[in-house]
Amino acid sequence: MGEILVAKGLSKQFGGLQAVADLDLDVRRGEILGVIGPNGAGKSTTFNMIAGALAPSSGTLVFDGKDLTGLPAHAMAARGIIRTFQHNKPFASMTVRENVMVGMHLRLKGSLWRVLLAGTGAVRAEREAVQRADELVAFVGLGDCRDADVDTLSFGQGRLLEIARALASEPRLILFDEPAAGLTLAECERLTDIIRQIAQRGIAVLLIEHDMRFLMALADRVVVLNFGRKIAQGTPAEIRADDTVVQAYLGDLGAMAHA
Amino acid sequence: MKSIAGFLVAALVLSAIAFMLGSYHTDVYRKLLLWITLALGYNFLFGIAGQVAFSHFTFYGIGAYAMVILLFQVGLPLPLAILAGIVVCVVLALVVAIPATRLEGFYLALATLAFAQLFIVVLNEGGSVTGGPGGLANYRLPDILGVRVTGPWYTVVIVFLLLGTLAILWRLDRSWFGRACRAVRDDPQAAQAMGINVTTTRIVAYAVTSALAGVAGMVYAFVDNTVNPPIFGLENSFLLLFMVIVGGSGRHAGAIVGAILLYLLPFFLSPLIGHHHALVFGVVMVAVVLFQPKGLIGIWDHLTARRRMAP
Repeated sequence: MGEILVAKGLSKQFGGLQAVADLDLDVRRGEILGVIGPNGAGKSTTFNMIAGALAPSSGTLVFDGKDLTGLPAHAMAARGIIRTFQHNKPFASMTVRENVMVGMHLRLKGSLWRVLLAGTGAVRAEREAVQRADELVAFVGLGDCRDADVDTLSFGQGRLLEIARALASEPRLILFDEPAAGLTLAECERLTDIIRQIAQRGIAVLLIEHDMRFLMALADRVVVLNFGRKIAQGTPAEIRADDTVVQAYLGDLGAMAHA
Repeated sequence: MKSIAGFLVAALVLSAIAFMLGSYHTDVYRKLLLWITLALGYNFLFGIAGQVAFSHFTFYGIGAYAMVILLFQVGLPLPLAILAGIVVCVVLALVVAIPATRLEGFYLALATLAFAQLFIVVLNEGGSVTGGPGGLANYRLPDILGVRVTGPWYTVVIVFLLLGTLAILWRLDRSWFGRACRAVRDDPQAAQAMGINVTTTRIVAYAVTSALAGVAGMVYAFVDNTVNPPIFGLENSFLLLFMVIVGGSGRHAGAIVGAILLYLLPFFLSPLIGHHHALVFGVVMVAVVLFQPKGLIGIWDHLTARRRMAP
């Protein structure tokens, strides 16, 4: 199982604050890699650098053998790295299906002349896109509300829509930013199930999560960050037994008790 | 195929009307068609792509002036003048769009307002090229293949301009590009995460709609056979915005309804209240924004939805 994403010496500085320092990280094909750490450990910064929302101060990001360091978000997406948002970001004026069809942008886009001139071809491509969108909507379990406006969805349904939309672009690496946050227990179980199925389709998954229990049940490997540095890496079982990790989390709790 | 049939019927009906009108009503009808054309383009820019720009009417003016200058001062033959006019519009649109679309909302509005004002200044100060405050007049459409296109036949040209514009915008709207425009309008960050290049999408939407306004301006140049600065002032840019909002922004049908209503309203109001129709516009505008943000087309949707639900 080879690596699809290799980050080397990734660092990000905000003024005097070293948010992430010299981080090495790799995601293998078809695996679920979890990244955990206490608040302020640099999880989101790491996430945003891989997603292209933040340019790293130093270090390199190599995806499938190509250097993508510092590319903007849409270019990362075009290379096959697709993110979801912790706070759902649906396209508010569209239906569920249309939202998913926006996710197909990279597959559908072509020359504007062809849009204007190619009659039946464009119509057929659109019809196929609708069909594919409906499949994805059904896959995440939103089949009954595919024609609904997104503002009628619950928070949990909105999260599922985020996933369907991300899958629509046929990513090779999908980034989840605290996907379990704000979900009910039943929704969490459904989410776990869906993320497993995504990995089974051969899509690599990188999961940033605050919730240890959710992550440990799901991840093949776990990377632990604290104060912007990697302090441990291994299988969930190894991480559970790791002293530094326990300390980091206990230390965090201790600090909170004093605050 | 159904939509092609619809376009053919519309072309026949709208063209037939042209042959039934006297000279006064021909003038009203032609300008109504031009306003609908402009409103359709502006609806794509403002309603679908979400860009609050005030330069749409300016590009109408640029197209009109470019046509007259290229034909009668540069001396290009008609087909070349049309092509060169489109190039002028696209180039100017890019000059405005590349810096301006990096700006959002308020700042884009300001930049395009400034551009619209600058255009009027250039027209007034342009000496013999633009004819200064008096503009350019005393010209007429060159013969096309030896035929002089006038009267109702020129109105037919405007009908085809309208339907061509609608067809292009319709196609764009119902493609990946239209979806990308709406996505950028709704949430640029999420659009970017889906691989949409936000800046390029904005620039293309601006350039395409501005070029369409320019082409409409080229056709307009031979409606009054005169172009002068007051025609292309800011007042009309705002009227265009009102048309789209009152009709229902983001919808082709909304733009058409809004353009028809606001263009024809003064004709019915002025016998009653003289030149105070601007006051009525203001009231209509405020009422729509407050009570019917989806515009008049939203009321129509509401009624048809209710009828569909009734047995």
